[in-house]
Amino acid sequence: MMSSKMLNIVLALYVALIFTFIFAPILFSLVFSLNSQRFPTIPLGDISTEWYAKILTDPDVWEAVRNSIIVSTSSAVLATTLGFCTAYTDFRYNFRFKGLYLALILLPPTIPLIIMALAMLAWLSRLGLSGQLWSIILAHSVLTAPFAMAIIRLRLHQMNPDLEAAAWNLGGSEWQTMRHVILPFCAPAIVSALCLTAAVSFDEFAVAWFVSGLNKTVPVVILEIVQGNIDPQVNAIGTFVFLTSMTLVIIAQVILFRRQTKSYS
Amino acid sequence: MRTKKTIDLYALTWRVPIILWQLLFFVGPVLFMVAISFFVVKNYRMTEAFEVVNWQKMLSRGYFWDSYWYTLFIASLSASIAMLIAFPAAWALAFRASDRLRSWAVFLLIIPFFTSYLVRTFSWYVILAESGVLNAILGFVGLGPFTMLNTHFGTIVGYLTLTLPLAVILQTVTMANIDKNLIEAARNLGCKPLATIWRVVLPLSKTGMIIAALFCFILAFGDFVAPFYLGGSQEPTLPILILDTTKSGQQWPRAAVVAIMMMLTLFTIAFTAIALAYRKPKGSK
Amino acid sequence: MTKHKKTTSNQFIRRDVLRIGGGVALSAPFVGRAWAETVEINMLAWYGHGEPDMVGAFEEANNVKFVPKYYAGGDNMLALIAQSPPGTYDIILSDGEFVQQLNAAGYIEELSADDYPFDDMLHEDFTKFPGHWDGDKLYSMILRGGHLGVSYNTTAMSAEEASSYEGFWKPELKGKVGHFDWHLPNLGMMSLKNGNGASLWDLTDDQWSAVQETTLSLREQIGGYFDYGGTFNGLKNGEMQAMCGIGDWITGVLERDGAPVASIIPKEGGIQFTESYCIGKDSEKADLVKSFIQYMMSPEGQVKSAQMLAYPGFCVTKGGRALLQEVDAKEAERSHQIDGMPNEPIALINEGRIHYRDIPQQQTLEDWNDFWSEYKNA
Repeated sequence: MMSSKMLNIVLALYVALIFTFIFAPILFSLVFSLNSQRFPTIPLGDISTEWYAKILTDPDVWEAVRNSIIVSTSSAVLATTLGFCTAYTDFRYNFRFKGLYLALILLPPTIPLIIMALAMLAWLSRLGLSGQLWSIILAHSVLTAPFAMAIIRLRLHQMNPDLEAAAWNLGGSEWQTMRHVILPFCAPAIVSALCLTAAVSFDEFAVAWFVSGLNKTVPVVILEIVQGNIDPQVNAIGTFVFLTSMTLVIIAQVILFRRQTKSYS
Repeated sequence: MRTKKTIDLYALTWRVPIILWQLLFFVGPVLFMVAISFFVVKNYRMTEAFEVVNWQKMLSRGYFWDSYWYTLFIASLSASIAMLIAFPAAWALAFRASDRLRSWAVFLLIIPFFTSYLVRTFSWYVILAESGVLNAILGFVGLGPFTMLNTHFGTIVGYLTLTLPLAVILQTVTMANIDKNLIEAARNLGCKPLATIWRVVLPLSKTGMIIAALFCFILAFGDFVAPFYLGGSQEPTLPILILDTTKSGQQWPRAAVVAIMMMLTLFTIAFTAIALAYRKPKGSK
Repeated sequence: MTKHKKTTSNQFIRRDVLRIGGGVALSAPFVGRAWAETVEINMLAWYGHGEPDMVGAFEEANNVKFVPKYYAGGDNMLALIAQSPPGTYDIILSDGEFVQQLNAAGYIEELSADDYPFDDMLHEDFTKFPGHWDGDKLYSMILRGGHLGVSYNTTAMSAEEASSYEGFWKPELKGKVGHFDWHLPNLGMMSLKNGNGASLWDLTDDQWSAVQETTLSLREQIGGYFDYGGTFNGLKNGEMQAMCGIGDWITGVLERDGAPVASIIPKEGGIQFTESYCIGKDSEKADLVKSFIQYMMSPEGQVKSAQMLAYPGFCVTKGGRALLQEVDAKEAERSHQIDGMPNEPIALINEGRIHYRDIPQQQTLEDWNDFWSEYKNA
């Protein structure tokens, strides 16, 4: 058997290998976005910012960015609201059919996106809501609510359950307690949930593609380019999507971590 | 004193909205899709009806079942591979890494979820091509060139891109939450490291492992990007079949049939998995 | 090659300044209202028809903006229209053989023949192209065409081997032949290989079985089924060394970039795809759309179409061809659009080597699509 130190080295290398596999496409995408060749091959071409210039001057891309921002913020708000309601209900109450209730909100991620996309398209067409940004917002709120619920529920788990009862004993109504005790406590989780659901919505393409019609979000534009006149514009857009999503996730993590350490003091 | 009525109102405010929302925008669409599978398409327009013709046609087609078994096979295979590959890394992160290092690792692993999956697939396309980066590197050592695209291999690489980060994260978190004392105890009782893994770590992380494997499977089962762009539709999987039927002739009813078959399969597998995950082993408290 | 590139980069520099300004404006919602006066035209088309190189000049001159939705394949187009609210699309670029379906379903407006240059057509067939007319009523204006045949990598196959569909079965190409993932052109080619000639779309049960058999026998050679982007990539990086179901419209773009690919009309015959513009039913911008179609039929528009960045097509008017030879002789030569050249498109039609693409007559599109799925799984 190997010595502990050697084992550590081997494991470290293995972990590094895994990370290389996971990050290789991301790094290559960055490289290709600065590469002059339209169909990237080895050896690489010259460094060029033409793909960035191309997407920055394409009004369709800006329109898509605008749409993406509208969609992700709206669906984040909706999803977080829904998530909070469910998390709080799960935290505080026990009732018959609670399992079914939880299943209702937690099931969507288990259904493959392409099936949800088809179902949403048909249903929203029937309701006459298809082809608008609203269609995507509705679909995304359903898809991302479980994540919001999980985050907020975790936070509530950290709260002392007697806190609420203490507030009532001190004379506060349930609503006041909610406003002054619970919501502030959950605030970091709520912000995290907002950021996370926005990030997920920002990157979602299957449902958006089926349901959006002429109002495209950024992932739909990416999909169309990949299916059509494929060129490294895709990589340039990918870099932007990456930076945006990462910013949102970092904000979410920082706030959650910071408050977490704070709440222990 | 609070009357029962006030409490109900408060509780209901939090409880009811989601029910309505999900019914309208989750249950509704899914049920409608079941209904659609009985509609009939005439002249590229879907008309409401109740006919089983779509089911008959779809389920009697050889290519549907070929696709079905293939999808089941390749998704299971890639989920297994993902879990196996992830395990040593997750074990290292859970038991050999400091808390801080582990947090950073998990944080880094979240990054891929927020880069466009499509863009990453396109990158792999370029890397795996005959004249691509990987073959160039292998060429230096005198190997290859290998055909990696438009093969099952390509499809699996694509699925791994989707599922590996999740597998590592879930496995790491699961194993990190195991009570270290139990492992110490086993070690003290003379259990060798490998045996410890087999007899202590795995059973204790059973739930998390099964959930992780389940999600890897679900993701692979429902993805069309990997088999289409990296696998060259060799062979077409069920999601590709859905796309094909939707694209041509407005055949949503047929697509709905495929979708429902997929959902039934997934539900069955999910219930079995969860039952296994939460089942108490015989003879334990 | 350099000449072509220079023109593009010049245009880009000029347009860059305009677009950066426009882009910033569009991204700020309240400022965006200033652009609200720009009329939006919703377009349903094959990839590339709504891009700046095609519509940019018209957009600037008329203060309109084209909003494109792209599809691949006539069935896809019909599905997209059917699933959108009526009146969504103002202009529809359709394959010739699908116009009648658009008309039957009531998706398009009637056009007035006097508005368009039917007197300037390069071939008589174009003046009364089947499918565009319903009796004496015009429903769709022919814009451009292209020929489909054997597309191949010139380093993997010789021109002689490629001059028959049999070339796809060349043993050295095993696993390196690709399909454009649409049944219609592929099965049409298999039909031609079986010798059905002019009645390639009108198959009896026996002939249809024979076509299926021929197709299935090709399965071993196949390396994959690709969409538009995948087809480009496959040929460009050499993964695929022959492609079935396409023609110069794909290889032309790659040729322009210097790739060793080409398309040939084989001896069994080639297929012509024809694209034409229709005006969406009840469109409020019908007049604008009409003037756009007229612009695209003018020599300047025809040249744009021939030079389209996404994929080339040949001009259908004499004026268009003449101007192309003047401003872009290289492209005219590359695409054989010079009278007297071998493989000149009109001559090929006259020789009877080209068959217009059509929908299957005795089977339904669904039957063909069904078989295509079966083939993919074989």
